[in-house]
Amino acid sequence: MIRYALGRVLAGIPVLWVVATVTFALLRFLPGGPFDKERVLPPEIRHNLERRYALEGTLAHQYVDYLERLARGDLGPSYKYVGRDVADILRDAVPVSLELGAAAFALAVVGGIGLGLAAGARRDTAVDRSIALGSLVGVSAPSFVVGAGLILCFGLGLGWLPAGLWEGPLYAVLPACTLAALPLAYAAQLTRAQVAGVMDQDYVRTARALGVPEARVRRRHVLRNALLAVMTYFGPLLAILLTGSFVVERIFAVPGMGRYFVTAVTNRDYPLVLGVTLVYAVLVVLANLAVDLLYAWLDPRIRVGGAER
Amino acid sequence: MRRRATGLALAVVLALGCSRGFERAPARELRINLETEPPTLDWNLATDGVSIVAIEQLMRGLTRLGPDLRPEPDLAEHWDVSADGRTYTFQLRDGVVWSDGVPLRAQQFVDSWQRLLAPATAAEYAYFLFGVHNARAYNGGKLADFSQVGVRAPDDRTLVVELDAPLVYFPALVNFMVTFPLRRDLVERFGERWTEPGNLVTLGPFVLAEWRHDYRLVLRANERYWAGRPPLDRITAYMVQEGSTALVLFEQGLLDLVRIPPLEIRRYTERPEYLRQPLLRGYYYGFNVRKPPFDDVRVRRAFALAIDRSQFPALLRGGEQPESSWIPPGMPDANPELGLRFDPEQARALLREAGIDPAQLAPVKIVYNSDQTHKLVAEKVQAFWRDNLGVRVEVENREWKVYLKELSTDPPAVFRMGWGADFPDPDNFMNLFTSESENNHTGWGNRDYDALVARAAREADPAERQRLYDRAQRILCEEDVPIVPLFVTAANFAVQPRVRDFRPSPMDLFFFEQVRAE
Repeated sequence: MIRYALGRVLAGIPVLWVVATVTFALLRFLPGGPFDKERVLPPEIRHNLERRYALEGTLAHQYVDYLERLARGDLGPSYKYVGRDVADILRDAVPVSLELGAAAFALAVVGGIGLGLAAGARRDTAVDRSIALGSLVGVSAPSFVVGAGLILCFGLGLGWLPAGLWEGPLYAVLPACTLAALPLAYAAQLTRAQVAGVMDQDYVRTARALGVPEARVRRRHVLRNALLAVMTYFGPLLAILLTGSFVVERIFAVPGMGRYFVTAVTNRDYPLVLGVTLVYAVLVVLANLAVDLLYAWLDPRIRVGGAER
Repeated sequence: MRRRATGLALAVVLALGCSRGFERAPARELRINLETEPPTLDWNLATDGVSIVAIEQLMRGLTRLGPDLRPEPDLAEHWDVSADGRTYTFQLRDGVVWSDGVPLRAQQFVDSWQRLLAPATAAEYAYFLFGVHNARAYNGGKLADFSQVGVRAPDDRTLVVELDAPLVYFPALVNFMVTFPLRRDLVERFGERWTEPGNLVTLGPFVLAEWRHDYRLVLRANERYWAGRPPLDRITAYMVQEGSTALVLFEQGLLDLVRIPPLEIRRYTERPEYLRQPLLRGYYYGFNVRKPPFDDVRVRRAFALAIDRSQFPALLRGGEQPESSWIPPGMPDANPELGLRFDPEQARALLREAGIDPAQLAPVKIVYNSDQTHKLVAEKVQAFWRDNLGVRVEVENREWKVYLKELSTDPPAVFRMGWGADFPDPDNFMNLFTSESENNHTGWGNRDYDALVARAAREADPAERQRLYDRAQRILCEEDVPIVPLFVTAANFAVQPRVRDFRPSPMDLFFFEQVRAE
C-alpha cells in the first residue's frame, strides 16, 4: 500500500513537467508582456528590466533556465510585485485558500451526502422533491449570483454577517457557503441517484427481510455502496476547493490564491502563473491518490498495489 | 434531538444578530480601500496609482503641491535657480529626522537618485530625471561614473542639481515619489526586503506597522514627523478588488472611504457621503495617420467634427467633463476654447472635399481595451460617425496587454487611450505627442509642434508659455488632428460622515496627514 502510494507520487512528476511546459508555452504565445503598460517605457529602461528578470535570451534558453530553477524548488520572482518571490506569495495565500476550501469541502460533503441520503431514502415524497428542486438551483446558479444573494440577504438585509474581508471565523461564513453551494447540490444529486439505485438491490431487500434495523441497513449497506461513485467526484473537488476560487475570493475580498489564476495572467506575471498552476496540479495529483486509497477502504473488492495472490 | 438542533441554530443566529461584532468604527482610525496590493513600497521602483497612495503617507519629497498645484517647500525649505535656468540649489529643512531618529541629509537624495538611475535597479520611472545632466547616459549604461551625473550634496543641507537644459517645471518633478530621499544603509542591509514592516524607515506623517500582503496595510502615526504628529492614530488600507463589495462594506460601516463603482454613482450623487473630484486625466481617441483613410488630414478633421462630446456625461455618469483641447482644465496654461467642436455639416463637407464617398468607404475599425466604460464610448462614437458621416464603423475590443502590444507594434486605425498627470505641468501632456515620444501611437509627427513643446519647457515667462502651448494645441487639436480629446474624468468617492478634512487631489493622490476620524 505504501509502495503503491509512493509509486503514484513519483508518477506525478512527469505530469507536473507536462503541466509546467504547456503553461510556459501557452503564456509565451499570449501577445503582450509584463512590461507593456499604459505609459510606454524608454528603450534603455525596458532593456534594464529584461535583464533584471532574465527575459533576454531565446525562449528555449529561458525554458531550460526555468526548469533548472524549478528542479531546485525555486519558483522565481514575481514580475508584478517587486522584491517578492512566487514562493512568498504562495506561502501567504495558500493557507487562506486551504482554510476556506476545507470549510467549504466539509459543508459540501456533509450537506450533500446528508441531503442526498434523505432524498434517496424517501423517493417521490415532498422531502425528495424539495431537495431535488433546491439542488437543481444550487447546481445551476453561478457562484457570483449565490454570493451576491447571500450578501444581500445576510449582509445588507439582516446585517448579521460581514460582506467581505477575512478577520475571523464570522467572516468565513458567507464565502464558505458560496463556495460550497454548487458541490453540495451536485453531491446531493449524485448521492440521491446512487442511494436510489442501491435501495433496489437484492442485498438490501435481503437485509431487511432478515430483520436488520432500517438505520443499520442504511448505514452499512446503502450508504457504503452508494458512496463509491460519489467519492470519485470528491477527489478533484477537493483540489478545486483547496486552491480557491477566483470569483468567491474576489466577491468576499478573501486573500487566497484563487485570484492569482486570473490576475497573474492579466498582469503577464509568468512565474506567478506557473506557480499557481503547479500548486493546483500537485493538489489534483494528491487528491486523486487520496480518493483511490479511500476506495480500497470503502470497498474491500478493490485492492490497490497488486496484492499478492 | 431535532428540537435540540433547532435550538442550537436559533442560538447561533441570535448570537450573530445581537453581537454584530464587526460593526465598529474605531476613533482616530481611518479604514480605506486600496483596491489591490501595492506592487511595491520601494519609492524608486513604484509606478502605479496604488503604491503611490501608501507611499505618499509614508514619505516626503523636496517639494509638495499646494492647493493651486504649484510646488511649495517641503523637505526643501527653499530653492534657488541660476540665471541660465540650469542649476537648482535646494536648501533642506532643519530638524527633519527619519522614524529611527537618523537626521535627513542631502546625501540621502543623491543616494536615492543614483539608485533610481542605476541600470541594475531597472526602475521604470528613471526617466523622470532624464533632464538631469548625464542621467540618461548613466541609466543607459553608457556612463559608469555617477559623479559625472548632475546631482551632488556639497554639505548636509544643500542639494545641487544641474540640468542639461532649463526645465521650468523641475520643482514640480521633485514632488514625485521616485525622487524621495533614501536610506542607502537600510537598502544594503535588508536587500529587497527593506520595505517590509520592521525594516522600513520613513520620514512622512505615518510609518508602516503591518503589511499582510494582498490583504491589508496598516500605517501608524509617526511620532517623529517634523511637522507634528497627524491627528489619526492608524490607517488600515484593505485591498478589496471588487468595487461593489467595497461599497457594501462601506454601507456596513466596515470601510470609511471607497471609490464608487461606475454603475452605483447615480445612486449616490444625492447622498451626504458622496464626494466628486475632477481629475487631470484626459480621455482621447487617436488616429493611426499611416492608415487610410486617416492619412488625409481632412478625413481626420471630418471624423473629429462629427463627435458630439456633450453626450458623454449623460452616457457615462461619472462626472466626465467634455473637452475639445488636450491640456486638461485645472492645469496651468489649459485653454478649453481650443479644439474642434461638433459640426456635422462641416464634417460632411470635409469628407466630400477629400473625395470620399461614405457609402464606398471600407468599414472603419475602432479598437479599445475591454472595459464597460470604453465600450460605451466606442459604441457612441460609432453611432456619431455612422449617423453624421454615413460611414460604416466596426468596434472591436482587446484584452489590456494584447491591446498595448498592438498599440506599440501595429496601432489600429482608431484607438482609445487616456493620460493622467504625473506632475502638474502641461509638458506632461503635450510631450506625449512629440515625434520622439514612445507614447505617441498615432504615427504623427510635426517639427513645429516638437519645437513649440521643447521651447515651452524652457520658457519661464508665463504669458509667453501660454502662447506657445496655445499654438501647439492648435496644431494638435485643430490643424493636424492626430488625436481627438473627448473628455476629462473624475473620481467618485463615498466617505463616512465621521471622517473630516479629507481633500482628494486632481492628480488622484491622497494625503491623510490632516484627516480626522471621530
